[in-house]
Amino acid sequence: MGKQDAGFAAPVRLCVFAATLLGVFLTGGTERTWIIAAMLFLILMAQKAWKQCAGFAVFYGILSLLLYLIRFHGLRMAVFSEFHVFLFWWMTPVFMAAWNLVSTPPGELSAFFARVHAPTGAILGMLVIFRFFPTMRAELRGLRESMHNRGLTGPAQVLRHPGNTFEYILVPMLLRCLQISDQLAVSAAARGIDTPGPRHSYYERKLRARDILAAALYAGGILAFLLTGGIK
Amino acid sequence: MKPNAKWSAKDVITTVLLSVLLIVIQLLINMICMANHFVSMVLSVGITCLVCAPIYFLMVRRVHKRFVSLLYMTLLGVVFLIMGDWFLLPYFIVVGFVCEAILWKTDAYDNPWRITAAWTVYSGLYQGVNLLPILAFWEAFTSNALASGMSQEYIDSYLSYYTQPGWLAFILIFTVACGFVGSLIGSRMMKKHFGKAGIL
Repeated sequence: MGKQDAGFAAPVRLCVFAATLLGVFLTGGTERTWIIAAMLFLILMAQKAWKQCAGFAVFYGILSLLLYLIRFHGLRMAVFSEFHVFLFWWMTPVFMAAWNLVSTPPGELSAFFARVHAPTGAILGMLVIFRFFPTMRAELRGLRESMHNRGLTGPAQVLRHPGNTFEYILVPMLLRCLQISDQLAVSAAARGIDTPGPRHSYYERKLRARDILAAALYAGGILAFLLTGGIK
Repeated sequence: MKPNAKWSAKDVITTVLLSVLLIVIQLLINMICMANHFVSMVLSVGITCLVCAPIYFLMVRRVHKRFVSLLYMTLLGVVFLIMGDWFLLPYFIVVGFVCEAILWKTDAYDNPWRITAAWTVYSGLYQGVNLLPILAFWEAFTSNALASGMSQEYIDSYLSYYTQPGWLAFILIFTVACGFVGSLIGSRMMKKHFGKAGIL
């Protein structure tokens, strides 16, 4: 099975995200959320998302180590407070589930939401949110190169003229945002966003047995986690 | 363009895109400010309101439709809901309605002072992000803090900025002032760059 085929369908990722939110925020024992993180690592591994898995493993490992040192060896943080370490550790399962959802191909997501008759505005908004991060990363890289070519990224320049630097970054970024929104609107209109009839997509994908199994196992796992650990 | 006209796909995309940009900048500033707890507890919200004001100005003036502020603040509330602070969703919806009320007059979207008033009020109310979890959910906040390994004395000193009236007044005044100054900068930027480019 290729990496693309290994990815779960959009409804499964949504189900994983929703179940994670319930598990993390409803549990009576916040120290036990490592179980949810472990389940999410399995979800990522089942999708062969090795890079995401490794990144989150390093992040979670560092936070767990810090939390252990804070609790049992009286470590006091020089920069971030102990509370923030705990907050990030506790929220890591939510970040993992959110990343898993955001990395869903947008075509699949819009096809799913169109199938469940979500309002067009909501589908459009959701697609914009999901494509925001990769698009803005590329734009910011271009902006930084452009500023670098004009000698505007040096520490002395930034420290001496913080207001100007703010303007040099913000104005092109906002203009680019408006340009992107215009292009997306034209693209959406060209693809018949205003058509009143039912919408279909090339990316529509039927749920496979492994999708249903993963969703059922994960939801069941979260339910068992809440029942055994207590609910707030 | 009439503010009560129907929303087009372009309006939705522009609002969502700029709202997400606003939210990402707000969260980034909050994360950077976490490095120092004085900056995090006292200054971070003010800095956020200062930096984000031009983006809000552009969003309101570009879309030029009613309920832009409400949509942005609802999205912000949803982000806080996902982060566990569910009570901030209804709170931000109410804040959204307050801003909409300030911008309700027909020509308000072309009036920089109305938009300044909306953002300044929002800035003061945005302190709810820090205050509500502490004031309304003190027990849950303390138990989470204790679970993270902090001692009771440390928690008390950490939260002292929100329990002493003097600090609380300073924080609110600083935040509102930052929101106001940010709005003035935003208004100036609209004239200097975006108005001249003909995109408003």
